Amino acid sequence: MDLTAPAIAIRDLNKFYGTFHALCGLSLTVRKGERVVVCGPSGSGKSTMIRCINQLEEHDSGEIRVFGTLLDDNLASIDAVRREVGMVFQHFNLFPHMTVLENCTLAPILVRKTPRAVAEALALKFLEKVRILDQASKFPGQLSGGQQQRVAIARALCMQPEILLFDEPTSALDPEMIAEVLDVMVTLANEGMTMICVTHEMGFARKVADRVIFMDKGEIVEEAAPAAFFEAPRNERTRLFLSEVLAH
Amino acid sequence: MPMPAAPLWRSRTTRSLLLQGGFALALLAAIVAATLTARANLSAQGMTSGFDFLWTSTGWEMNFTLLPAAPTDPYWWFLLLGLLNTLLMGLIGLGGASVIGLIVGLMRSGRNPAARFLATLYIELFRNLPLILQLFFWYALANALPNPRAALDLGPALLSSRGIYLPGLAVPYGAAIVIAAILLLGLALAIRVLAARRFARMEPVPRRVLALSLVLLAILASAAIALATHPPGTGWLSLPQPRGLRIDGGIRVQPEFACLAIAIMTYGGAYVGEIVRGGFKAVGRGQLEAARALGLSPWQVFSRVRLPLAFRAMLPILINQYVWLIKATTLGIAVGFSDFFMVIASSITHSGQTLELIGILMGGFLVVNFSLAAVLNRLNRAIALKGHNTGGAA
Amino acid sequence: MTALPAAPALTPPARRFRRLRRDYFGSPASALMTLASLGILLGLGWWLMNWALLDATFSAAATQAECVQAGGACWSVIAARWRVILFGIYPYDEQWRPSFACAVVAGIILLSCLPRMWSFRRLALTWGLGAAGFYILMRGGILGLSVVNEQQWGGLPLTLFIFVATAVAGMPLAILLALMRRSELPVVARVTGWIIDTIRSLPLLSILFTFAIVVPFMLPGFLIGEKLYRVICGAALFFAAYQAEIIRGGFQGIPRGQDEAAKALGLPYWQRMSRVLLPQAFRLALPATINQFVVAFMETSLVVVVGFIDLLAAGNTAYKTGEWKFAYVEVYAFVAAIYFLFVFGLSRYGAYLEARMNAGHRKE
Ligand SMILES: Nc1ncnc2c1ncn2[C@@H]1O[C@H](COP(=O)(O)OP(=O)(O)OP(=O)(O)O)[C@@H](O)[C@H]1O
Ligand SMILES: [Mg+2]
Repeated sequence: MDLTAPAIAIRDLNKFYGTFHALCGLSLTVRKGERVVVCGPSGSGKSTMIRCINQLEEHDSGEIRVFGTLLDDNLASIDAVRREVGMVFQHFNLFPHMTVLENCTLAPILVRKTPRAVAEALALKFLEKVRILDQASKFPGQLSGGQQQRVAIARALCMQPEILLFDEPTSALDPEMIAEVLDVMVTLANEGMTMICVTHEMGFARKVADRVIFMDKGEIVEEAAPAAFFEAPRNERTRLFLSEVLAH
Repeated sequence: MPMPAAPLWRSRTTRSLLLQGGFALALLAAIVAATLTARANLSAQGMTSGFDFLWTSTGWEMNFTLLPAAPTDPYWWFLLLGLLNTLLMGLIGLGGASVIGLIVGLMRSGRNPAARFLATLYIELFRNLPLILQLFFWYALANALPNPRAALDLGPALLSSRGIYLPGLAVPYGAAIVIAAILLLGLALAIRVLAARRFARMEPVPRRVLALSLVLLAILASAAIALATHPPGTGWLSLPQPRGLRIDGGIRVQPEFACLAIAIMTYGGAYVGEIVRGGFKAVGRGQLEAARALGLSPWQVFSRVRLPLAFRAMLPILINQYVWLIKATTLGIAVGFSDFFMVIASSITHSGQTLELIGILMGGFLVVNFSLAAVLNRLNRAIALKGHNTGGAA
Repeated sequence: MTALPAAPALTPPARRFRRLRRDYFGSPASALMTLASLGILLGLGWWLMNWALLDATFSAAATQAECVQAGGACWSVIAARWRVILFGIYPYDEQWRPSFACAVVAGIILLSCLPRMWSFRRLALTWGLGAAGFYILMRGGILGLSVVNEQQWGGLPLTLFIFVATAVAGMPLAILLALMRRSELPVVARVTGWIIDTIRSLPLLSILFTFAIVVPFMLPGFLIGEKLYRVICGAALFFAAYQAEIIRGGFQGIPRGQDEAAKALGLPYWQRMSRVLLPQAFRLALPATINQFVVAFMETSLVVVVGFIDLLAAGNTAYKTGEWKFAYVEVYAFVAAIYFLFVFGLSRYGAYLEARMNAGHRKE
């Protein structure tokens, strides 16, 4: 891990599902501390791309480097990358058989070998940060969707990752819960966390993103700072997409 | 619109009372009638009813007992021994079925196609043939084994038509039972320390030390008992030795016992294997991905997330399967293993106290199965996912 | 960013090869497992082929010595004894009747597997008529057929008869028990619950035993009847207790709104049940129901213990008497193949239905 290298460097990435070409020669570089928002129509490969970054999906060709570490067949490099890259899922994916606190301390204790007491203190700190400290001893099934998602963010933070990946973190939530999750994400962004965030929350993108990326059919179609992206989209497909999303 | 007061037979309350009263009365009448007929029929044959026969001696022998028994012993002792045999067979059968089931279930839900195919073959073969057919087959096989004089030599063990002879510890029988009980207890306590939520807040290392010392303690206690009871001046291991038409020494496992145990283990293993596979299939992909994204190793993903969630998914079905397997021990009668049911059947032939003995049979199975289900259901409730509505098994 | 050498693109065959390598030899443990599994499979297959085909003896006239010399399976026992195994002690000259009877049962089972037959009326009609046809063929006494008593029935037709009769008698009872357990009348629901739970925790063998030997004491003379029918009653009761719980499980899967909507429409109890709830409950419970049929079919073999010569017992007599004592493996293999055909076919069909239903649900 070389913290001076670009946080993420993807070059010419290709991914097939059977014969279906899901990512077509995609390239993307993200600097440390940068906040990137990815949007695009359903099925355009957004999830596939960020799942390749922590190798939940194996890519077929091209290269992905995370802080200079090349992701290939070497299992050690995959482990190293996963330690530094946190992920927040659309459906939270909390472990239903563990309490909120155990969810948060599991990986630090097992993977980082943090002593339990330290891991718990850290977890409580992050749970407080996502404003859910009072629920620490509950089980995920006893929480609302918004609360669960905030726990999921805290769980990812407990590994003290360098990069956080978000895959549509708010799209399974009711409107009043979206705000509480976005609040937490804005706080994180303002603290300088490197983030790649797949979302259709355009307000969030405008507020915190350094760069907005529009994907379609497995390619990056447009890539610009938020102001330029929203005011003057250059590509026809982007314009169509924006008009649809913003119409609501 | 004003309604006229409902006539009595149209009112909801009366009708519900009438229906329930009628139902209860009909049931009661059937039971009373059956009892009276049975009384009349039995007294016509000159039989007395009641449970006094339990204290008379049986006059016949049981072919397999855990504790000493003689034809002069009373019926209640034989029945108790039969129940013990059923429990022992149930314990061995359930344990073996669970181990086999876990192995084939894991093989079936793994990635390796060759292993998956082998496990599928096993499951489909053993699950789709009647248990009693498999039992008959094993028994015919056991009877076709050579006689003790030409027993098959499997290293320290001997295989003959008189049974399997295993090497044993040279201590008196009573001491052996106490040792087995102590070892089981130590192991159970250790597992509890490792698994129970109550100890979850201990650091992993002292927890393991505690568990290990429990096992060591049990081993030490057993060794002490063995030392105290071992007849001095003889070898520590009792190996089976062919002596003409007999085999001396070692532990003899009756062919009837071995065949029933093998049949229940292999048949039950196929069913448990399917249940295990179903449990693993029920674990959401999301949880596994989240665990991997956190950087857990494959073994950690399996032991911390996949297995615990799968176990919760399979436990309710497993409970029913276990009750079923306990009931399957009654097949002992088909090959002549003295389980509870066979002792009851023999008692009926010899004493003629049909109704009483059938009552005892049903009572025995109700108690065993309800307690097994109660314990497992408690476990199920204890580990059930909080905040999810999952019902327990019946 | 410095220029990095691009990883070579993989062609689809190369990817397939990589996947194969990962699946079979992904780790040392996996490789070991592959080798062990393949070894076992090939060894078993090789041995089975030699034993059952290449080295086997097929002629009905072969003796034990000839069989032993050939070294493989001695199918001669089947060639010589198949009639005994299939039909037991049914009169030899009349054995065309049980053959037809078996065909009738196979026919109704196949018919019931067609989705277009899935209405109460059609199923009840098929199974009722099928059972009646079977009975007439086997028992005779009319249409110029000579009478063959139940005591002379045996082999495969007896197994099939017990199965069909158990299902025909058990299914209505199961529905009744399920409805009673769900009843709004607390006494009825509670007591039925006890009855079902009690029966379910008893071994089937003890129930068969009770019905064969004990029940006659409790019944007035005119109700005692043939032992075969009493045993079938016991089996049906046991079947019904299990099936009732399966149906109840199906009921629990129906959204509450269904019953409420039916009530709001003013449908009386029986119509609510027969038109709205039971069809949905059965649909949801279909895979479990088929599984229950499979189990019931296998459990017919327990009647051996109370003294009937069903398929399994007939197999026992075929090798235990006379010169075939050594050929038990072949006889059990033959009997097992017949059971396997029924049971495996039925359970595959159940799995297929389940997959189809799941696919249907996902589309909705
Ligand atoms: N496991 C899979 N097997 C086969 N095809 C898949 C798989 N996962 C995704 N795909 C296909 O790959 C394409 C990209 O999927 P992806 O999930 O990345 O889209 P997305 O942009 O995240 O869409 P959404 O906004 O709906 O989440 C889709 O067309 C999808 O059908
Ligand atoms: Mg997606």
